[in-house]
Amino acid sequence: MVSMVTRLFERGAGRLPGVVVAATLVFLYGPVLVVAYLSLSPAPQPTVPLDELSVRWYRAVLEDRRFVRALLNSAGIGFVTAVGGTALGLAAARTITRSRLPTTVRRAVTLLVALPLFVPTVVVAFGIGRASDVVGLGFGYFPVVLGHLFWVLPFTTFLLAARYAELDGQLADAAADLGADRWTVFRTVTLPLLRPALAASALFAFALSFNEFLITFFLAGSAVTTVPLEIFGKVRIGATAFLNAASVIVLVISAGVAGAASVLRQPA
Amino acid sequence: MPTVNEQTRDGLVASLPALLALALGVFPLVVLFVESIGPSLGVGSYRKALSPLYRGALLYSVGVGVGVTGICLAVAYPVTYWLAHRCPARYRLVGLVALTLPLWLNYVVLNYAWVWLLARGGVLNRLLVGTGVLDTALDLLYTDVSMVIGFVYIYLPYVVLTMYVSMERLDYRLLQAARDLGATDWRVFVDIILPRTLPGAAAATLIVYARIAGAFATPAILGSPGNVMIARLMVQAFREYVDYGFAAALSFVFLIITLGSLALGAVSPRVRRELRRW
Repeated sequence: MVSMVTRLFERGAGRLPGVVVAATLVFLYGPVLVVAYLSLSPAPQPTVPLDELSVRWYRAVLEDRRFVRALLNSAGIGFVTAVGGTALGLAAARTITRSRLPTTVRRAVTLLVALPLFVPTVVVAFGIGRASDVVGLGFGYFPVVLGHLFWVLPFTTFLLAARYAELDGQLADAAADLGADRWTVFRTVTLPLLRPALAASALFAFALSFNEFLITFFLAGSAVTTVPLEIFGKVRIGATAFLNAASVIVLVISAGVAGAASVLRQPA
Repeated sequence: MPTVNEQTRDGLVASLPALLALALGVFPLVVLFVESIGPSLGVGSYRKALSPLYRGALLYSVGVGVGVTGICLAVAYPVTYWLAHRCPARYRLVGLVALTLPLWLNYVVLNYAWVWLLARGGVLNRLLVGTGVLDTALDLLYTDVSMVIGFVYIYLPYVVLTMYVSMERLDYRLLQAARDLGATDWRVFVDIILPRTLPGAAAATLIVYARIAGAFATPAILGSPGNVMIARLMVQAFREYVDYGFAAALSFVFLIITLGSLALGAVSPRVRRELRRW
C-alpha cells in the first residue's frame, strides 16, 4: 500500500513538468483569447457569455481617425527604425566581427551598442527626453525615431553579428583574389549572403519599435501619438469592446511581423 | 597588413553606430548627472531621493522585481526541463516558439487583457462563482496580486528563453545515471539540475529584475494606486512637478543599484558567459 502511494506520487512528480507546460500555455494564451472573444461583442461593454457575435467594433476602430493616425504613425516610425536600425546594426556587426580596428575600439563599440540592455529603460527614456530638451530638439517624431533606433540597435547588431561570424570569409577572399575591390565584394558576395538575416533584423526592429511604449511616452510630447500610447491612454479610462478590437488588431500585426522574422532567421 | 586607407574606412563604418550610442546612451547620462547635482553642485536631490518617503518606493520596486523574477524562475524550471529533455524533438521548436512568442507582442495590450480576467465582474470571478468554487467575487484587479500576475505574464517568456539555453546544455545522461543509482526526483533536481543551471538562472534574474523594478505601464494598468514604484515617481517628476533634479537623482540611484547587481553577477565567469549571449 505504502509503496503504491509512493509510486503514484513519483509518477505524479514525473508528470509535473508536462502539466506545468500545459498550464503555462493556457496562462500565456488564455487572456489573449478572452480579449479576442470579447472583441466580438455587439454591445460597447461586453458581458460573458456574449449573446451574439459582431464585428462592428473592428469597423469602428478602423473608422476611428485618432486610432488610424496612431497606427500610421507607429507604422511609419517602425519602418524608419527598421531600415535605419538594420543599416546601423550592419555597420556595428561588421565592426565587431570583421573590422581591422584595434580590439579595444571594437570592444568599446560593442559595449556602447549594448547600453540599452544594461541601463534600465526608464532611465534611458528619461535621459533621452532631458538631453533632447537640453540641445533644443524638444519632443516629436525626430526624438522618438532616434530613441527607437538606439533601442533596437543591440538587437539588430547582435543578430547580424551572429550571421556575419558564420559567413565563410574565404568567399570574400576568393572574390578579392579575382580582382574585386572591397565595395564590389561587399555588394556582390557579403550582402546577398546576409540577406535573410537583414530581412529578419528589419522585421524584428519593426516589431520592437511598433510595440515600444516607455521611450515614446517620454519623447512624443503632445503632438505625436502611437498605438501603444493611444491604447495606454484608453486603458486607464476603462475597458471596452472597442479597445478589445484595437488590441486584437495590434496583436495580429506584431505576431505576424515577429513570426515572419523568426522564419527568416532560421538558416536555410 | 591593413592599409591606413582600410583602417580609415573601418573607422568610418564603426563611427556611425558608435556616435548614435554616444549621443543617446552616454550624453543623456551626463545630462542627468549634471542635473542631479545642479543647480549649485549639491547632493540635495539625492538626499530627497533617498529620504524615507521615497526609499520605500525604491525598496518596493526592487522587492517586486526580485519576487516576480523568483516566480518566473519557479515556473521556467519545469517548463524548460520538459522542453529540453522530455518533449519529442520534432515539437521542441514549436514549443519554444509558442512559449516565447509573447516577447514580440505589445505589453500594454497584454496587460490590458488581464483587466477583463481579473475585474469583479470579469471572466475569472464569473467562472469561480459560477462553478461554486467561491461564494463571492474576489477583488483582484488593481492590487499587488494583479500587478504581479501582469509582470509574470510579460517577463516569463524572457526567463524561459534564457533558462532554456542552460537546460538544453545539461547532459541528460547525468540524470539517467543518477536515477539508475536510485536518486529521487528531488535529489536529481538539487544535486544535478540546480547547480548546472544556476548560471542561467542568475543571468535571467539580472536581465529581468531591473526591467520589472523600473516598469511603468504594468503597475499603471494593473497595480494598486497606493503602491508607487520608481518609474511612476520619475514620470511624475518629469511631467507633473517638473523637478528634473529629483528625477535625475532617482535615475542615478536606480542605475547604480542595477549596474551594481550586474557587476556582482559578472564576477562569476559562468554567469558572465550566460550574460554574453544577450
